[in-house]
Amino acid sequence: MGIPYDTESLFQRGLTKMIRNPTLLVTYLVEPIAFLVLFSQMFTKLGEFLPSTAGGYVAYLTPGILVFCALIASPQGGVSIVNDINSGFLSKILLTQSSRAAILLGRLLTDVSLSVGEAVITIITAMAMGVTISTGLPGVLLIFLTVAFFEMALSGLFLAIGIATRKTETLSAVSGFLYLPLIFLSTAMFPTSFLPGWAQTASNYNPVTYIADVARELVSGGLNLNTLVEGYALTGVIALVTFAATLYQFRKVIS
Amino acid sequence: MVYKDGTRAVEGISFSVDEGEFFGFLGPNGAGKSTTIKVLTTLLRKTSGRVSVSGYDLDESPNDIRRSMGVLTQETSLDVDLTGWENLHLQGRLQQLHGKQLDERVSELLKLVQLEDVAKKPVGRYSGGMRKRLDLASALIHNPKMLFLDEPTTGLDAQSRTAIWEYLEDLNKNHGITIFLTTQYLEEADRLCRQLSIIDHGKLIAKGSPSELKKALGGDTIALTLGPSVRAKAKEVLSTIQGIYSVLDSETGVAAYAKNAGQIVAEVVTTLDRNDIHPSFLSISSPTLDDVFLEKTGRRIRSEELLRKETEPFLM
Repeated sequence: MGIPYDTESLFQRGLTKMIRNPTLLVTYLVEPIAFLVLFSQMFTKLGEFLPSTAGGYVAYLTPGILVFCALIASPQGGVSIVNDINSGFLSKILLTQSSRAAILLGRLLTDVSLSVGEAVITIITAMAMGVTISTGLPGVLLIFLTVAFFEMALSGLFLAIGIATRKTETLSAVSGFLYLPLIFLSTAMFPTSFLPGWAQTASNYNPVTYIADVARELVSGGLNLNTLVEGYALTGVIALVTFAATLYQFRKVIS
Repeated sequence: MVYKDGTRAVEGISFSVDEGEFFGFLGPNGAGKSTTIKVLTTLLRKTSGRVSVSGYDLDESPNDIRRSMGVLTQETSLDVDLTGWENLHLQGRLQQLHGKQLDERVSELLKLVQLEDVAKKPVGRYSGGMRKRLDLASALIHNPKMLFLDEPTTGLDAQSRTAIWEYLEDLNKNHGITIFLTTQYLEEADRLCRQLSIIDHGKLIAKGSPSELKKALGGDTIALTLGPSVRAKAKEVLSTIQGIYSVLDSETGVAAYAKNAGQIVAEVVTTLDRNDIHPSFLSISSPTLDDVFLEKTGRRIRSEELLRKETEPFLM
């Protein structure tokens, strides 16, 4: 009973709804395969400019696809909560004894599980394309944890925007505006040495860079503690900020 | 209750509902019914005043109130992707039920609202009446002592409406559940509620049982259908007849109020005839709740129903 029980109930609901929407589910799960194959073909020449330790362009791109897919999936929670507000379903939950925090946690967990599912497919696809994960199974598990952390931070952002605006149109506009700059002004797709000076500076301040670097370290580097701590600390801070923003917006709804 | 934009939705109302009562809040759209029910059910924070539900103070123990009440919101709030069974099960879990006890309760309620056959189908494929019945079942999942219903039959066809009425009567009579219902339908208030408060523009304008309220009017209505050109003359002539104590305009002509309309109806007809006024239709009726509303506000509820706006989400 209490928060874990309510979170589990709402998480279960989120998963069931996702499974009942096969078009959405298949789109998300095919996405990592399509993007990894497509981008690695398109930018294959970049491999020649990478240091020999990078393990080829597919290995370099794999973390990029991990963060790209997480970014694209992140507005789902926001969309769901907007639908729940507008359909009256959120009121129905608020009229029960359910813990209020569980409403957000259940939703975050649903989003995180979708992203981790995508990450699993990304890693399998990368391995099928010849990438060796240098850190082995512990590294793979840490990759999933990284993606889960990142998704929690992003999902919180869209939950906050969704609750504040109560419009799914706004969510798709904001996410559409954010994806490409966040991905291309970072180390996700290619090393920053390919970017002009100002973009390199932007990349250094882009959180996506840090997440991509952590994932890259785990794919083709080693278990470098400094990079891991830096990446997790940054994601943790972002997750805290977005979750606080969500809670702030949510309190306005429930009081 | 004052909204952020300064709208005073409900002001200075005070009432109490006894345990086991079937209590109704009757009023046209925008009267403040939904606002009141949102405050009582913990969804909306009141700006001033004191509320106690099932013996619990609204500000101090909202969760105790949530445990003791079931709520049926105005728009049917079910998850259309989940089946009927799954909707009830989720609602039960959120009301802190679990295990075998919950499974049994779900089956019992599906049987009560006669949805066992479709329990495994997604709610998206249910008709409006079926959804309302499932929604009612979900409000009952945790065996609440009290049930709040915000316009439970708005938008339903006649058959579904009667079905909901029968369930509610059964719950109140045979299961001892206290019911608080808001409605804009006179027939609904008249049939179901033993105690009634009439609300308009955020203020309570009358209280009592439907029969007391009607009796207080003291007379019958003689409704006359007349062309617009003769209405003023008809009002003038009718008010001279002994026994008629009030004559008002109505949508189709005029309405005269008298203690024993049957005894003076002949005089009404002959007097009008003498004055060359020929109503195309005449009817005598005992007072209705609409007459009560008309007497208190000078307007009818019926005509306002036609101007009804789309229902809005329960949450503001």
